[in-house]
Amino acid sequence: MKRLCIISLVLVFSAAWVGMPGPEPYTPVYPAYFGNRIDVPANNPMTVQGIQLGRMLFYETALSANHQLSCATCHRQELAFTDGRKFSAGVDGVLQERNTMSLANLLWERNFFWDGRARGLEQQAQTPLTNPHEMGQELSVSAARLQVLSIYPPLFRAAFGSDTIKGEMILKALAQFERTLISDNSLYDRYLKGVYKPTASEAAGIELFYGKGGCGHCHGGPKTYSELYHNNGLDSVSKDPGREKITGASYDRGRFRVVTLRNIALTAPYMHDGRFASLEEVVDHYSDHIVSSVTMSPFIQGNLNLTAEGKKDLLSFLRMLTDSSFIADPRFSDPFKTDRRSVVRTF
Amino acid sequence: MRKSLLIFFVFSVHIVLAQGPSIKVSGEVTKPLTLGAADLAGMKRVTVSMKDKDGNEHAYTGVAVGEILEMAGVTTGKQLRGENLTKYMLVKCADGYEVVFSLAELDADFTDRTVIIADQSEGKPLPPGKGPIRLVVPGEKKPARCTFQVTELVIRYAKE
Repeated sequence: MKRLCIISLVLVFSAAWVGMPGPEPYTPVYPAYFGNRIDVPANNPMTVQGIQLGRMLFYETALSANHQLSCATCHRQELAFTDGRKFSAGVDGVLQERNTMSLANLLWERNFFWDGRARGLEQQAQTPLTNPHEMGQELSVSAARLQVLSIYPPLFRAAFGSDTIKGEMILKALAQFERTLISDNSLYDRYLKGVYKPTASEAAGIELFYGKGGCGHCHGGPKTYSELYHNNGLDSVSKDPGREKITGASYDRGRFRVVTLRNIALTAPYMHDGRFASLEEVVDHYSDHIVSSVTMSPFIQGNLNLTAEGKKDLLSFLRMLTDSSFIADPRFSDPFKTDRRSVVRTF
Repeated sequence: MRKSLLIFFVFSVHIVLAQGPSIKVSGEVTKPLTLGAADLAGMKRVTVSMKDKDGNEHAYTGVAVGEILEMAGVTTGKQLRGENLTKYMLVKCADGYEVVFSLAELDADFTDRTVIIADQSEGKPLPPGKGPIRLVVPGEKKPARCTFQVTELVIRYAKE
């Protein structure tokens, strides 16, 4: 009888264990023309619960040393996850050395920052969280802070199977959320899907971008992004070493990431040092103000010498890349905006 | 102490400068390699001709990719059969650019075309922006695989 009881108990517990809902796999949805060369590490698959948690952490001020900054402070959704500043300020008021990058279609990105020094979003996230001039808090401190906020332990359990919060889980959840930031509903997308007819100026801009302008060589393809690093003729001697600091190769001096042009009209100021206040200034740079140097990209062969009409057309095309649904998408918005206590229920 | 530190510093800088840019060969190899300028200069040298953007043929000198792959223990020649024919070489460049070749495209048993890792053009070092090491693929209609500033050759199996 006693043995029967033990067996029954084991069976009950086994059934309960098997029946325990694990995190639900999440499959990102995107147009076929983006291709499937996505980057999701095997040890951090995307899950519904992980993404939900990541969204909360993205907006969580407890992750900063002064309890006032979150990732979203410098990555504001309405500005395509930039902050409109030349350089963002950290918890100690010190400004960053480079312009805050926009966030869109990171699922296809393998290396991060202007110089590509971080392999993967998980590694990237560690820098802004812990850098004393950004959010300035060690991951272990962040984990301890979240541990005592009652809403978090159950969410970590749902996402990662344990309510003992660790720094690594914070990075993983943030990375999962950021991989969902897919921008694929701009006018340009509608044009690619054959449901929007570009205006004459937009069509001329597309032709110029991919044709005579040669812009598409580096910014090309439907994502308007491929992982490249170039010196784009800003200075005769770059003050900022760019990738040279990472690789030690002199030919990498002043070489920076070729950014995505998705939502580019929303992400001023431009370049790694935010030197251009407007998109017009950027187009003027490529048209009239290229500065040659030893490390300048061989794909830039001097000024484009665009006409006023050409510049206007190019700008029309660039504005087609603004995705107004992306910047208003409730899946990416601040979950704490309504009532912090009701956050859990909204998921 | 200060003097020995200085000597160490000078020696270290010398090593870094002497090393210069190099090319790494990894993946499905039996001998991973890192080849610097001096290594390439000491290998069997070949010169091939390729039409540049100016429409003229130019002579490029360097080492055949097949030679480098053989040195790294990649399956070449008689070994390039069966599942080894599903292998490819990913060429990685300093600017992040990447292109792919199947191993058969690079093998002397399959093709008369010699793809080379070049470090000279018309007897001179390659110009900044393209050198010090680039890939030269003779006979291609588009130059998109003739890549600049090559840093790595990675051999992999194509897997579904």
